[in-house]
Amino acid sequence: MISTLQKTIKPVSAVRGLHKSAVEALKGPAPENTVTASYGKFISEVKPQHLSSVVLHRSKRMVLDSIGVGLIGSTTGVFELALQHCKHTYAPDDISSVYGRMGTRLSPTLAAFVNGVACSHALAIAASLSGAPMANAATQSKPLHIGNASRFGLEAALLASRGLEASPLVLDAVAGVAGFNAFYEDYVPQPLESPNDGGHMFLLEEQDMGFKRFPAHLGMHWVADAAASVHKLLVGFGPGTVSPAKVQKIILRVPKSKYIDRPFPDSEHEARHSFQFNACSALLDGEVTVQSFSPVAMRRPDLLALLSRVHMEYPQDNPANFNSMYGEIQVTLVGGDILKGRCDTFYGHWRNPLTNESLRKKFRNNAGAVLLPEKVERLIDVVEELDRLEDCRTLLSQLY
Amino acid sequence: MLRKGITGSFGAAIHGLGPLRLTDAVINRSKRMMLDALGVGLIGTRTDVFSKALAYSQMFRSDERSSVWGRSETTLPPHYAAFVNGVAVHSMDFDDTWHPATHPSGAVLPALLALAETLPGRVSGLDLLLAFNVGVEVQGRLMRFSSEAYNIPERFHPPSVVGVMGSAAASAKLLGLPPAQCAHALAIAASSCGAPLANAATQTKPLHIGNAARRGLEAAQLARLGLEGNPAILDMDCGFGVYYKDYSPSAMAAAADYKWILEEQDVAFKRIPAHLGMHWAVDAALEARAKLENATGVTFDLSQIRRVTLRVPPSKYVDCPFPGTEHQARHSFQFNACAALLDNEVTAASFGAARMNRPALRELLARVEVETPEDNAPSFDKMYCEVEVETQRGQSHVARCNTFYGHWRKPLTQEDLVDKFSSNASSVLCAEGVEGVVEVVGNMEAVRDCAVLSSYLRLTSAPEEQRVTSRTIQRAL
Repeated sequence: MISTLQKTIKPVSAVRGLHKSAVEALKGPAPENTVTASYGKFISEVKPQHLSSVVLHRSKRMVLDSIGVGLIGSTTGVFELALQHCKHTYAPDDISSVYGRMGTRLSPTLAAFVNGVACSHALAIAASLSGAPMANAATQSKPLHIGNASRFGLEAALLASRGLEASPLVLDAVAGVAGFNAFYEDYVPQPLESPNDGGHMFLLEEQDMGFKRFPAHLGMHWVADAAASVHKLLVGFGPGTVSPAKVQKIILRVPKSKYIDRPFPDSEHEARHSFQFNACSALLDGEVTVQSFSPVAMRRPDLLALLSRVHMEYPQDNPANFNSMYGEIQVTLVGGDILKGRCDTFYGHWRNPLTNESLRKKFRNNAGAVLLPEKVERLIDVVEELDRLEDCRTLLSQLY
Repeated sequence: MLRKGITGSFGAAIHGLGPLRLTDAVINRSKRMMLDALGVGLIGTRTDVFSKALAYSQMFRSDERSSVWGRSETTLPPHYAAFVNGVAVHSMDFDDTWHPATHPSGAVLPALLALAETLPGRVSGLDLLLAFNVGVEVQGRLMRFSSEAYNIPERFHPPSVVGVMGSAAASAKLLGLPPAQCAHALAIAASSCGAPLANAATQTKPLHIGNAARRGLEAAQLARLGLEGNPAILDMDCGFGVYYKDYSPSAMAAAADYKWILEEQDVAFKRIPAHLGMHWAVDAALEARAKLENATGVTFDLSQIRRVTLRVPPSKYVDCPFPGTEHQARHSFQFNACAALLDNEVTAASFGAARMNRPALRELLARVEVETPEDNAPSFDKMYCEVEVETQRGQSHVARCNTFYGHWRKPLTQEDLVDKFSSNASSVLCAEGVEGVVEVVGNMEAVRDCAVLSSYLRLTSAPEEQRVTSRTIQRAL
């Protein structure tokens, strides 16, 4: 039994350079030396002053973008359905509704997180709420994955604040008893450094976020940009249309990935997960937008004609990885001419980030679908000043 | 690999199975399961984890309200009633166990009772029985899609995988959804599956059943509003198959002439609020102690013992030499064997703090060795437990348990099952409530309106203000 435990704690020891306390640790590694505990500590100890200016800047961009897509998202069918469900299940009482009440209850509860133990338990409780299969991506249920992630995480934190306990080793890899590693086949955990030693750097400092320019799976942006460049070649630089009659064949060179490879998507959700659809839309229109996924746009005969001429290729050098993939389109015209477009890094990717102007333009389009222009501008200002904001209610009150 | 039609066959079966399909055997077995689940749920409302789940759930308001078992005044929004009652059922690890392993009833019954209280029409006992069996059956079918499900789990806690699906199926049945929506309920539910085993043996484990109940109910309600998931969710490896390393699904038979799994494979009911594996250890330890006493002619005494060897199947999460918490104790071969040796019985009281920290028990635990023989498979269908007690004088007394009393191969008598229920329920309900539940469940197929069951579940013996914690109960015992 002791030898089994030694094997279990070895990876942590090797990483941390700690002495081996195998004999005393009949129960496993000492509680404070686990990966899980390091996460709990970090969460409870990290302070605003630990946020560098780069991290602040990047995260404010993320906040703005999320609010915008959330606002336009409130016009979708799936949102309406989820709202119906919640309204039906919970009374719209100002004092007691889930939304209003969360706002007033949360602060004192979170203030109770005086030590990292409760934070660790929140993570462990949340692990029991994780995991949804990929088969529901490209369906109407996919958005619920994010909605559920949000509320389950909140729930885990609230339960932990009431003293509910869960596994103190949930992030550590314990042989024979899966924790968070249940969700991954090759799992190698690392502890989080303490923010106090100055040894900690936020990942966001080194690895920026990608922002989408249109509402579809990220992979679509490569083929859309590649196809848009071919569209420009066909129509010149003014507005114009591409005539499918001129197109004999379209070849797309993309990474192999089943759930975004759909020749004839049936629904808006499938269309957002279709290399073919996004390439052809961009080829036809010069760009992919929110409107590209409307029922009318999806049923256009010109689009369907282009779709029927697409052939897929999966080159060996094109991995299914957002850091390394590319998208290539090759259009053979009826006359015999061949036009090519290739995109290695779409505009909005972390290697080629959206400018602040582009990000705000996207936000105005999204938020403006739902809010008055004055509110839209105020939101942009408030988020820009977020780190100096005394009271978040200033932000919250602009959201409706 | 995409196989066609399996998900559709489940949707069709959930919709199509009618009360006439329930055989006598299935009705009898499922009534026993309902009674046991209610009993362990009622006593479970005295636990610390239940009070946390309840306090959390009371943050929410709604127009529709459903009962909290064992509370005369408290109601909750239906999802949260399903949640807390489910937590209660699994709070002491006292609920039923099936083969392949899961705890089928706790995921399904709380959701159904909560839902039934909100439906406009009358829900008969037969309606409830049918929906319950649909929920249990779906769980059984899903577990037969992999060989991984047949062994003691290592990755996901089974109720968090199949329990959600069972609750969705049962709720869809009670709601009378059409076949396509029944299938979508399963798909939506699949996005709520999967809790890692590391949280077993912690206070969070009971939430796996509570969450299974409420997420399945929610999935059915979202499907009813028209939400869609993947219509081939059960067919695809990247669908429900993600939860198993070897996944091989098959279609559900048409409703006509249906063969229920419960007919062939009964559940086990626990005599002790602990992981199922502990029951083998306890029965073997009790027999070893009897043998020792027969041989020596004196009552068992700690000082006689040099060593205790346990021969058990390999399973890391129930191998705990020095449990620190009550939850760990419920998942410790060593603890349960020693408690049985010392006290000649293991009961709910054995897991109280005072009993757990007795010097005598700690001393005996230090003398335990665990072996995992090759022929001892980590499967509730095949495992055994051997307890060998070696005295200071060098004598050995061995006892082996292949099938504990309560296992599906050696079921509890009806009398013993009702006794277990009555003992559990009377910790919370008055005599009238206890007897009322026994009678209603006993005649469930003839009950015209199962609202009567909910009212018995609210006939408490003490005013609600008396918040009794599990510590108080242990002292009282």
